[in-house]
Amino acid sequence: MDIFSEIYGTYFRIAAILLERETTDEKTVRETVQREGFRDSVLFLPQKLIPGSEDWGLFTRTSGGALRRRTKYPPVKLLTKLQKMWLKAKLADPRIRLFMDDDTLSRLDGRLAGVKPLYTSGQFGTTDRFSDSDDYLSEDYIRHFRAALDGVKHRKIMEIEFVSGHGSTIRGRFVLLKMEYSPKNDKFRVYCYLLRNDRIRSSSIINIGRITRVEDTGRVFRTKTSMDEYFSSRKCSTPAVVRVTPERNGVERFMLEFASYEKHTVCDLEKGEYKVELWYDESDETELLIQLLSFGPVIEIIGPERLRRQAEERVKRQAELLKERLEDDEDE
Amino acid sequence: MAGFSELIKNFDKTRGYVRDFFIYGCKVRSDFDRRSVRTYGDEKRRVESWMGDYMRYDDSVRGRSVSIAADSGHIPENPLYNAYCSKSFTDNDIRLHFFITDILCDGKSRTIKQVTDLLSEGYGHIFDEQTVRNKLREYAEEGIVSAEKRGKTMYYTLTPDRADEYICEYSGLADALRFFSETQDLGVIGNSILRTLGMKNDLFFIKHNYMIHTLEDILIPEILEAMDERQFVTLRTFSEESKRAGELPGSENRVVPLRILVSVQTGRRYLAAYIPGVKRFSAFRLDYIRSVEKSGECGSYDALKAKFVKALGRCFGVSFGMRRETGSVSPMKITVFADETKEPYIIERLEREKRCCTLEKSGEHLYTLTADVFDPNELMHWVKTFIGRIVSIEGGTDSIRRRFYRDIERMNKMYSGDENGHIQ
Repeated sequence: MDIFSEIYGTYFRIAAILLERETTDEKTVRETVQREGFRDSVLFLPQKLIPGSEDWGLFTRTSGGALRRRTKYPPVKLLTKLQKMWLKAKLADPRIRLFMDDDTLSRLDGRLAGVKPLYTSGQFGTTDRFSDSDDYLSEDYIRHFRAALDGVKHRKIMEIEFVSGHGSTIRGRFVLLKMEYSPKNDKFRVYCYLLRNDRIRSSSIINIGRITRVEDTGRVFRTKTSMDEYFSSRKCSTPAVVRVTPERNGVERFMLEFASYEKHTVCDLEKGEYKVELWYDESDETELLIQLLSFGPVIEIIGPERLRRQAEERVKRQAELLKERLEDDEDE
Repeated sequence: MAGFSELIKNFDKTRGYVRDFFIYGCKVRSDFDRRSVRTYGDEKRRVESWMGDYMRYDDSVRGRSVSIAADSGHIPENPLYNAYCSKSFTDNDIRLHFFITDILCDGKSRTIKQVTDLLSEGYGHIFDEQTVRNKLREYAEEGIVSAEKRGKTMYYTLTPDRADEYICEYSGLADALRFFSETQDLGVIGNSILRTLGMKNDLFFIKHNYMIHTLEDILIPEILEAMDERQFVTLRTFSEESKRAGELPGSENRVVPLRILVSVQTGRRYLAAYIPGVKRFSAFRLDYIRSVEKSGECGSYDALKAKFVKALGRCFGVSFGMRRETGSVSPMKITVFADETKEPYIIERLEREKRCCTLEKSGEHLYTLTADVFDPNELMHWVKTFIGRIVSIEGGTDSIRRRFYRDIERMNKMYSGDENGHIQ
C-alpha cells in the first residue's frame, strides 16, 4: 500500500481514458497523450499504445486501420484501500460537514464501516495555527458556506451582508469567483467582485465567518472574468525586495518560510547572500512586513520605499522603547 | 534521448532536486555537485516535464539557473503531485492491470487458474500462473481485489467500491474531494481519486500553502502505521550539510513516533518522537528524513505518549529544550504596548497567536505574555513580529535577551543607514 504506485500513475490513467471506447484511432491517442500527459509524454507513450513493435498490446488494429481495445468493458474506476482509508479519515474532519448533510455522512460512514481510517486527529498537530478558527459546526456558518460555494459553482449574483474587519456592516451585490482556505488562520474566504448596476466595481474578499446574511438574487453573472485578472487587481505593483544573509541559517529558513510566495532569487556568491523579489497581495502587506521583521537583522527589506519606511519606523520606535536596555547592553 | 525515461523507480532522488529547484530558486548546475551531469540533466528534464509553465530560467555569470516560480496560493492543483504519478512499471504490470480488472469486473469470484486461462484465451498474451498469482496478491494488498479461501483454493473478486458510484451516491463528496485534495494531511491521495474520475479542483485556492510538503507525504503512511501499531521506527536522516557534501547514507535513529507536527507559518513539518538512547523527546524535520522503517514493538508506547502530550503543553513550537535546561529556565515575560481603544486588533492578535503563553493586562495600554516553555528561544521569531511595541523582555535566559537587544540595535543601524556596506 504505497502512494507512489503505478496504479495512480499518469500512463495508467491515459491508457484508462483511451480504453473507455471500444475503438479509437492514432490521432486520438496522440491528442489524449498531449492533453493528459507530462510535457514529454508524447515522445514516449504513443508507441506503447499504438500496435507496433514496442506496444503493450492493449489495442489491436482493425482492417480499417482503427484501434480496437482488447478488453471487453470500459475500465472500472476502482477505489483502492489507501483511498478508502483516506476518505474514512476525512469523515472525522469537522470541515466535511460543510459539504455533506448528516444523512449522507452517516450513509458514507456505514459504507466504509470495515475500513480503518488512515490517521486519527491525534496523530497530526499544528504548532502555530491561530486560535480563532472558523466554527465549522455552526448551523449558520454551514448555511453561509454552502450558499457561497453554490454561488461560486453557478456564478450566481448574491446579495451579501457581512461585518468588515473594522467592525462595520457592509451590504452589496457580489459575484463569487472562488473559495479560499488558509491553514494558518483555519478560515474560509470567498474571492468576489462587488457589483454596481450589474457591472464590476471592485475586487473583494469576504470571510465566510463574517457573513451575517446571504441571499441568491436568482440571477447569473454572464460577463467573462478570469482569475488572473482578479489576482492581478490585488497584486502589489512592485515586489518586495529583500536581502537575505546566511547568518543563523537565514537563507534556508527564509526560502522555506516564503516558499508559498511567487519569488525571483539572485545569488551573490561573493557574500553568500541572496536578493529575493517577492510578489504579494497588497491587502497582505502588513502580514508580510511583520513576517519579514521576525527574521531580525538576518534579512533587510530593500524596497519598495514604502515597505522599507514602515520597517524603519517600527524598528526606530522599538529602539526608542528599549533605549536604556540597549545602552546598558552596549556598556557591557 | 536514449536512456531517458519520464518515469522513475525511486522517489527519493527526485525529492532532493525538486526541493532545491522549488525552495532556492537560483541554483545552477554546479550547485548540484552530488550527482553526475547526466543525472542532473535527467532530473531537471523530469521536473520540467511535470511542472510545465511553472519553471523559470535565468541566465547569470554562474550559468543558467532553474527554479519553480509559483504563487502557491493562486494555483488550484499542486503541480508537485505529478511526481507521484510517475512511477515506472513493466509491460506486464500494465497489461495485467487492465486485463485482470476486465475479467473480474462482472463481480464473480475466480481462482488464479481461471484468471490465467481467461487471460490466455481472450487477451492475446500468455502469462504464467506465478505471474498472475503475484499480481493478484499485490492487488489484494492494495484493496483492488479481495481474496477468500474456499477449502484449499483462493478465490479473487474485484472490490465493489467504484469512485464514480461514490460520487453519484454521496452528494457533496465531489466538492469535498476538490477541497481536501489540496489540503495537508495527504491531499495527494484525494487528488489520485479526482484524477481517476477525470475531475479537477476548480473551486478552492489554498492560502499560506506549502506545496513542497507533499514530497514528504511518501514517508507518512509508514509513520502512521507504526504509531497505530505502537512500534519503533528507524529513521535515516540527512542534514543540509551532509546533502551538500554528497553524504547520501545519512545518520540513523531508532525512535518512538508520537505525532506529526506541522508549522503552518514556517513551512516545516516534523515527526515528534521519543529517543530512547538519550531518554528525551525530540522533533525531526520530515524534509530531512530520507527513509522510515518500522523496527519493533514499543512496550511503553502508551506511557510515553501520555508524557509527550503533557510535555507538549510547554512547547511553543517543537523544541523540548536541552535536557540540562529543562526545568531550570525561568518563564519569559514579554510586555507589549497596545492602545485598547485605537488598536484592539493588536490585543486580538496576541490572544489568537499566543499558543501556550498566558496573556494579562499589566498596565495602561500594556499587555504581558508569560511563556513557561522548555525553549524560550523558540518564542523570539514570533516576538519580533511585534517590533515597534515591545516594552520589556524579562526572564528566559541572558543570552536570549541580549541577542534580542543586539538584534534591535543592528536593525536600527541597518534601517537608519548606519551599518557599513548595506544597500540604502
